[in-house]
Amino acid sequence: MAFEAKSHVWDGTATVRLRGELAAKSAGQLNRVIAEVSAQPLKRLVLLMDELTYLSSAGLRSLVFAHQRLGRGVEIVLVGAQPEVAETIRLTGFDRSVVMQEPV
Amino acid sequence: MRLSVAERATREVLVVGDTRPDLLEGLAAAGFHVTEAQPADVADDLGRPDVVLLAASLGLPRVALLSRRAREAGAPGAMVFADGDLGALEACVRAGFEFVAPPYSPVLLRGRIVSAWERGRLTARGEQRAVEETVREYERDLYVAHELQAGFLPDVLPKPPGWELSARFRPARMVSGDFYDVFELLDGRRLGFVVADVCDKGIGAALFMALIRTLLRHNAEHTPATLAGGSDLSPRLAFGTGPLVQSVVDTNRYLVGHHLKQGYFATVFFGVLDPLSGGLVYLNCGHNPPVVVRADGTRALLRPTGPALGLSADSEYAPARAFLNPGDALFAYTDGVVEARDVAGARFGTAAMLRALGPRRSAEELLDAVDDALRRHVEGAEQSDDITMFGLRRGLLGIVP
Repeated sequence: MAFEAKSHVWDGTATVRLRGELAAKSAGQLNRVIAEVSAQPLKRLVLLMDELTYLSSAGLRSLVFAHQRLGRGVEIVLVGAQPEVAETIRLTGFDRSVVMQEPV
Repeated sequence: MRLSVAERATREVLVVGDTRPDLLEGLAAAGFHVTEAQPADVADDLGRPDVVLLAASLGLPRVALLSRRAREAGAPGAMVFADGDLGALEACVRAGFEFVAPPYSPVLLRGRIVSAWERGRLTARGEQRAVEETVREYERDLYVAHELQAGFLPDVLPKPPGWELSARFRPARMVSGDFYDVFELLDGRRLGFVVADVCDKGIGAALFMALIRTLLRHNAEHTPATLAGGSDLSPRLAFGTGPLVQSVVDTNRYLVGHHLKQGYFATVFFGVLDPLSGGLVYLNCGHNPPVVVRADGTRALLRPTGPALGLSADSEYAPARAFLNPGDALFAYTDGVVEARDVAGARFGTAAMLRALGPRRSAEELLDAVDDALRRHVEGAEQSDDITMFGLRRGLLGIVP
């Protein structure tokens, strides 16, 4: 399934909705979106993940990349990850670097 | 239908390479919408720009490849912009590329870009030749990398008395981010083994594979047997935890200290086995849990004990332990196994892998069982991720201390 990342920034919070499969082929697309939203000072990056159906290690790398690019001052919140996607994030221990939330 | 650049209200210009403020200002003033990117950002996907501007200093091989990619993405090839490297600019121009150079006035930029776009021949005359030559060079490089990488895997597996080891390694491409390693520690009194997966795939992952494998092994081979400060393990198990923990902690520190910006991380399972007693101390750094298959058919998972290497300077690694009795086996693997897809896109999955893991007469048969089930599942679908499997089995007549 194709990957989509739609973003908007408001009041220091960038929100990106992820849809489809985040893998090697789509990671570049997310990297570009993150680069675009981080052109302005951010306090928080919120990734809405309820429609993300798959996350490969290359896809996870693009989240790690975002985390390192934004630095410690920017909180990253992952919202509503599906069980398999959440499992991938927890398995590698990346959940310790971000905030994982149920959908609101 | 795609509107011509003259008709559209905003034209999307993708600028690749280190940009110059005067160029960006000129483009904006000329009414273009500009996206900046580095070559790594667009390695997999250029997006849908109308015009692609490439820094001449990227060099002709990269310019030619990116220009071809731009055409594949629907843009009429790419132009180069002068960014201070005259020799590089001349090479691109000799190959036939259109170019823009300072002063980057909005009027001049607009004129050159729109006229080049409308002629629809940004595709340079020399592009095809440059691309072919570059691809040939890359193929040679990849072949060499493939050969070199084989040298980073063990030639032969050790064979401690009473034990049998087996491994399979199938990269999805010429080079791989997976690796496994087996080596003797502490004068042969312990056996170290590693199964690891560097995130992502291809040449970038392969470079990190070589680095991480080397750091882990080198650190392990040069660390005393036990941890400073003691541990709550029995002396027998504690013997060997030094190389295990220290090598993982040092490797993580090195990766975070020197390579954090590149965003690479590696999931690593590192075990240190006492072949005489069957005692195993291990660290699972964010890796898919290896499976202990008992002689009676029960299974246990060796779950993560800490995060993947390269994620954070604060990561802590405390060893866990297990025992392998005569007839017990351990199966370690990378995610390419459970995530292998059939032609319809369905993944093999952990449940199917566990079903294939019953008691077998040898480590080789254990790997065969998983491999057979895996092959039946994928049935000729293209392999998309590196696959590594490692098996270790204690013979039924295992030596008892």
